[in-house]
Amino acid sequence: MEQLLPIGIFLFVLFLLLGTGVWIGLALLGVAWVGMELFTLRPAGDAMMTVIWRSASSWTLTALPLFIWMGEILYRTRLSEDMFKGLSPWMARLPGGLLHTNVVGCTVFAAVSGSSAATLTTVGKMSIPELRKRNYPENLVIGTLAGAATLGLMIPPSLTLIVYGVTINESITKLFIAGIVPGLVLAAMFMLYVVAISRFSKDYKPDPEPEMTFAERISNSRFLIPVLLLILVVIGSMYLGYATATEAAAIGVIGALVLAATQGSLTWASFSESLLGATRTSAMIALILSGAAFLSLSMGFTGLPRGLAEWIGSMELSRFELLMMLLVFYVIIGCFLDGISSVVLTIAVVEPMIRQAGIDIIWFGIFIVVVVEMAQITPPIGFNLFVLQGMTHHEMNYIARAAFPMFLIMVVMVFVLIAFPDLATWLPENMRQTAAH
Amino acid sequence: EKWDMPMAYPATNFHSENAAEFAACVNEGTGGELEIVTHPNGALFAGNDIKRAVQTGQAPIGERLLSAHANENPLYGVDSIPFLATSFADSEKLWEAAKPKLEEVMDSQNLVYIYAAPWPPQGLYFKKPVESVADMQGIKFRAYNAATARIAELAGMAPVQIEAAELSQALATGVAESFISSGSTGVDSKVWESLTHFYDVQAWLPRNAVFANKDAFNALSDEAKKVVMDCGAEAGKRGAAKSEELTAGYLKTLADNGMTVSEPSEQLKSDLSKFGETMTQEWMDAAGPDGKEIVDSYKAM
Amino acid sequence: MTSTIRRVLDAIYDSAAVLAAICLVLILIVIVLQMASRWTGISFPGSTAYAGYLMAASSFLAFAHALNRGAHIRVSLLLTALGGQRFWGELWGLLIGTAASTYLAWYAVKAVYWSYAFNDISQGQDATPIWIPQLPAAAGAVLLAVCFADNLLTLVLTRRDNIRSSAIDQTAE
Ligand code: NA
Ligand code: NA
Repeated sequence: MEQLLPIGIFLFVLFLLLGTGVWIGLALLGVAWVGMELFTLRPAGDAMMTVIWRSASSWTLTALPLFIWMGEILYRTRLSEDMFKGLSPWMARLPGGLLHTNVVGCTVFAAVSGSSAATLTTVGKMSIPELRKRNYPENLVIGTLAGAATLGLMIPPSLTLIVYGVTINESITKLFIAGIVPGLVLAAMFMLYVVAISRFSKDYKPDPEPEMTFAERISNSRFLIPVLLLILVVIGSMYLGYATATEAAAIGVIGALVLAATQGSLTWASFSESLLGATRTSAMIALILSGAAFLSLSMGFTGLPRGLAEWIGSMELSRFELLMMLLVFYVIIGCFLDGISSVVLTIAVVEPMIRQAGIDIIWFGIFIVVVVEMAQITPPIGFNLFVLQGMTHHEMNYIARAAFPMFLIMVVMVFVLIAFPDLATWLPENMRQTAAH
Repeated sequence: EKWDMPMAYPATNFHSENAAEFAACVNEGTGGELEIVTHPNGALFAGNDIKRAVQTGQAPIGERLLSAHANENPLYGVDSIPFLATSFADSEKLWEAAKPKLEEVMDSQNLVYIYAAPWPPQGLYFKKPVESVADMQGIKFRAYNAATARIAELAGMAPVQIEAAELSQALATGVAESFISSGSTGVDSKVWESLTHFYDVQAWLPRNAVFANKDAFNALSDEAKKVVMDCGAEAGKRGAAKSEELTAGYLKTLADNGMTVSEPSEQLKSDLSKFGETMTQEWMDAAGPDGKEIVDSYKAM
Repeated sequence: MTSTIRRVLDAIYDSAAVLAAICLVLILIVIVLQMASRWTGISFPGSTAYAGYLMAASSFLAFAHALNRGAHIRVSLLLTALGGQRFWGELWGLLIGTAASTYLAWYAVKAVYWSYAFNDISQGQDATPIWIPQLPAAAGAVLLAVCFADNLLTLVLTRRDNIRSSAIDQTAE
């Protein structure tokens, strides 16, 4: 197979640069450069700048720095403590305790943000310090967060679903609706895992929460009002047509600023700290995205992802075999590409296979999202791992190991989707009927 | 020699399929001397970057919606003057009138024009029946470039800027209530989920053009050059025929899904043709003597 | 003498970061104006493009500052394992980093030049000559390359670079 040489060289250079501690964005740049120099006659540097400029100045991505800023503001308000005060009396009663706030927080915030990086930073900034204070096992705090943050891509709005929908010409609204139930099911599976691990793990000894009567719990729920208001405003602005999914991020920042002001935590110092913190995190992500954009171009020129997809297409598999093959395929390329690039680079070849096998294209969108979510937490290139590393200063392999059970849960989710396709298709189909004139 | 060919639209779009056929024709015709590999879906370069990529040799050949570059040179927008050439036949004439000048402009930018094929004609989508321009007052209209913003202005509509990726959601949530595009966009974005009326005003027929980098093209043998040009001429004809054939199908799909698809009323037609006169004049002012020459020779045809 | 250079360089990195932060605020303002213009029916052509340019400027201008604050991440497993020999690992990382960022800076500057020479104009309603928004991005890329070279030189001279992880939030040991 002629593809083996390029694959080998790519992998060698990638592991060499990443493994020896080259900054991730620049390591990706280096790998991409090697690919371009080896496999095309095109001017590598000019082409690199073309795609980097496109990705760095893209309108749909402007939501990302804004959501990160929103997270930084909220982190400096009492909101995180308040959210815990409000949620903990209820979560504390569940087996597994406050670890559920990671999953619930991400699920709720996923309905506001379209990316998992933004979901991760916002919820992580709030929950990590609180959970650490209460002595929850560090690997579980990190792992559940890495996993649950991927819900940002499944629960609408979702950048991945927008890209998928535009690429295959399917209704984005319908894809969004299709993501709701599987997103909630996946969240439930994460929570079940928390329950199970809290029962079976000996290290699971968080500080107990104070006992509370039902009335006290209700009364403590008032602390949730600000965060619920914020989410309501952001979601409301989107669904009532005041803002597009991207613009909703701006509403989120303003909402967070108002919240901070009413709590008295908005000072010049906290404002400028939040702003500079968000600027740095965004710059970090932008450098990685720049490297990833160039890598994606380089892969496109080598024809690797497409070649692999064509190879799968040539095997004439049954429907289930095809899905299994694609699962493995996307998990493997997901190790090296970010989710959106892997969709863009392969869908032209994968889409006809799917249609020919009679697989529902909306359902497949959700399948792709789960698989792309997995890519967010697999090393060596997984965005949630990068963001968590930036946030916690843990080693990548520590974070990847902590997130591995979540990866397995997502694999299970794929089989759940295959066994119960209605999870994804029932809602959009029935919405369509009511919407018809 | 292998030429990677970036294209902006999905592989199943008829332009992409047509370009794939063009590539196959070249590969066969040159007996493998030149192999064109198409990369649909913006997989190599995004639509916005394709022309520049080809100009600078980052890609040897590419396909791009030509009128997107009208800011750079008004002549690139000749196919998108609203309500000037409002049928396939007229659009073909206008293109014949404009082609010599466009080839010159491209040549000066290190590009070699190969072929172009029209999109289905642009029609107006609304949420309510519209009998005249007066009915359009205040409607939130999606504007995505200078010309569509100008239409909104002339018609007294409120222009809202929505990117293609956000169109479906913007329509679903009422951020936009109207837009102008071909029937294919309506079908692709399942516009009947949000809007009710389509008026087949055939405002203009924008074109996708295929062009090569001049240095890369000149490096080919004379035989290969001829094959590329012949296959291109064929692809141009095939694309136009396919576009016309698909148009009827798109309108039928819109109707089948519950949209009211109709011709514009006489009143609306005459209102719009007045916009056409205004905007043709504005375009000629911007494009200078070359522009006037093109419009004059088109009108003389 | 060296301390003056040090102070000047640090001041440049930090002022660029302040500019980057201002760009982030401007993104917010542009998007709010864009929504407001829609609600009021006043047109604000090109707003999405401006937001995009500001994001590029914001990211690139903050690159150097983010590097010295340890915000850019990497896999430091091997570096830690090197222990006393860590210097050589750091040297390798900074060498590659300097090379890659110089490469990026070179082509970022070249892209500005070509945008200018080609008269490349935005295809959006803003119709901005593209070299203008590309200029701050190129400046940021150059600054990143300078910052890498600065760190490389400092490492060689003093065996310690200028990269300090901000330990304010959540150090997890
Ligand atoms: Na989401
Ligand atoms: Na990955």
